[in-house]
Amino acid sequence: MTIKYKTIKEIKNMISQKEISNKEIIKEVFDQIQANEHLNAFITLNKEPALKKSEDLDNNPSDLPLAGIPIAQKDLFCTKDLRTTCGSRILNNFIPPYSATVIENLENAGCISIGKTNMDEFAMGSSNETSFFGNVENPWGKNLVPGGSSGGSAAAVSAGIVPAASATDTGGSIRQPASLCGITGLKPTYGRVSRWGMIAFASSLDQAGPMARTAEDCALLLNQMCSHDEKDTTSLDDAIPNFEENLNEPLKDKKIGIVKDLDLSSLDNEVVKVYEDSLKEFEALGASLIDISLPNLSLSVPTYYVVAPAECSSNLSRFDGVKFGRRSEDPNNLEELYIKSRSEGFGDEVKRRILIGSYVLSAGYYDAYYKKAQQVRRLIKNDFDKAFSNIDVIMTPTTRGPAFEMGSKGSDPIQMYLEDLFTISANLAGLPAISIPNGNIDNKPTGIQIIGNFLDESSILNFAHMFQTSTNWHKYTPEGVKE
Amino acid sequence: MDKKTVTTISYLSRLMIDKEKEEKIVQDLDNIIEFVDQLNDADTSDVEPLTNPLEKTAKTRSDQITAKNLKKELLEIAPSSNDDYFLVPRVVE
Repeated sequence: MTIKYKTIKEIKNMISQKEISNKEIIKEVFDQIQANEHLNAFITLNKEPALKKSEDLDNNPSDLPLAGIPIAQKDLFCTKDLRTTCGSRILNNFIPPYSATVIENLENAGCISIGKTNMDEFAMGSSNETSFFGNVENPWGKNLVPGGSSGGSAAAVSAGIVPAASATDTGGSIRQPASLCGITGLKPTYGRVSRWGMIAFASSLDQAGPMARTAEDCALLLNQMCSHDEKDTTSLDDAIPNFEENLNEPLKDKKIGIVKDLDLSSLDNEVVKVYEDSLKEFEALGASLIDISLPNLSLSVPTYYVVAPAECSSNLSRFDGVKFGRRSEDPNNLEELYIKSRSEGFGDEVKRRILIGSYVLSAGYYDAYYKKAQQVRRLIKNDFDKAFSNIDVIMTPTTRGPAFEMGSKGSDPIQMYLEDLFTISANLAGLPAISIPNGNIDNKPTGIQIIGNFLDESSILNFAHMFQTSTNWHKYTPEGVKE
Repeated sequence: MDKKTVTTISYLSRLMIDKEKEEKIVQDLDNIIEFVDQLNDADTSDVEPLTNPLEKTAKTRSDQITAKNLKKELLEIAPSSNDDYFLVPRVVE
């Protein structure tokens, strides 16, 4: 019996039918991690506590919703007594004295945290090439990037090591790697999932969510990740629906918004064809396509590259070598301690974003850049509000193309920033969005993005699940199509 | 964007720029600023800035201590500390 490429639902069934013990599952996970060491998907493992928890479960079986399910945790979530680096040298030795709310929620639901996944440093990157702990390789091909920033989480699920992983999304960091690795990834509505214990990058954009093999598993995970958390002032206290309840609702008479302002001409022909084929599939399922206009969409990337660096420069000022993390050796005075600790501790991309942030927030430039970007952010949100008055969901390709080669974006950071062209607007407007596998080009997976209205994760999960009941793109693995 | 501006914002950010990387950083920042200058294409007169997608006023709570005192645990993970304080190089002679 193996759990490789199995979904959470399948593994739960295997456990309840006693086809496999909890300990056998966890042992297999660590064997798989070793067999896939070249992927560099993990930074820190949680082997002994994980094995211990599985033995306890074998002795005292539990009916918790995630009992015994192995989950890989992105190294951006604080985990009590387990090293948390955020992919950075400056947190190389950081062992948090508490766990993030998301981690607590998942573990209270019975899951077994098996380790911390590699990621772009402080979640700044779209290819997992900025981690202090090295690049992550996409299981679909040597030298292919897994996407970023949640590249380790995506690779671990894609390679079948674990059925699911936690991740975070500030501009596309769940959806873009999910697309490039051929799995399902959901960014919930801003405020749905507590940010407490998440290492902050851009606080008005950051949101945690699940990565898994199916939309059905994402719904199950989201049910457990969400909670109203008084420790996070932006945590919503609206009613949380059961996200598994509406998965099978027929799509007849549902409306899909297609963004007519979106210029697909810069995309590969095959990518456009895969996308259009998926839209036809949704039409065959009964949904209709409605043209919508999001006239300010083209400004979402420039808006993001003012707002996110501004918030990052403020958030990352806490890393000063005094209270936690790595300190430079032998500074001559306090100021040198700050400067040397930060300069040695941060990588180039993080420094670039801090500098941009300091610039757009500095006296004389604040109105021209920061205020202006926040005004455009309002225009983008207004566009979405207007569009959603008449439709259920919006669809776009998730990325401009399938996984690219490491190093291929060259040294121009803007080329990498444009990788998030389709995903960024959902973060700016705070909307939920999911990426699901929808095709395969030269043995590389592609994804389609479904954006929902505020707090309407149920609709996008419903669309995604119905697509996955009538297609098998989500069953494609790097080793062939799963039975 | 020029070297002088980059020196100023580096200091504001408490970051030191390696001499051999300086030219590339000035160029990158210049390109990024030029890229975000597209924002000027949008007419934003009378548009209220959007700072957070929720736009809710932060809730107040009763003035009661709910947090645990983690003093010992937090001082333990500091690069340098004694029983009561974080330690840094001397600032007052």
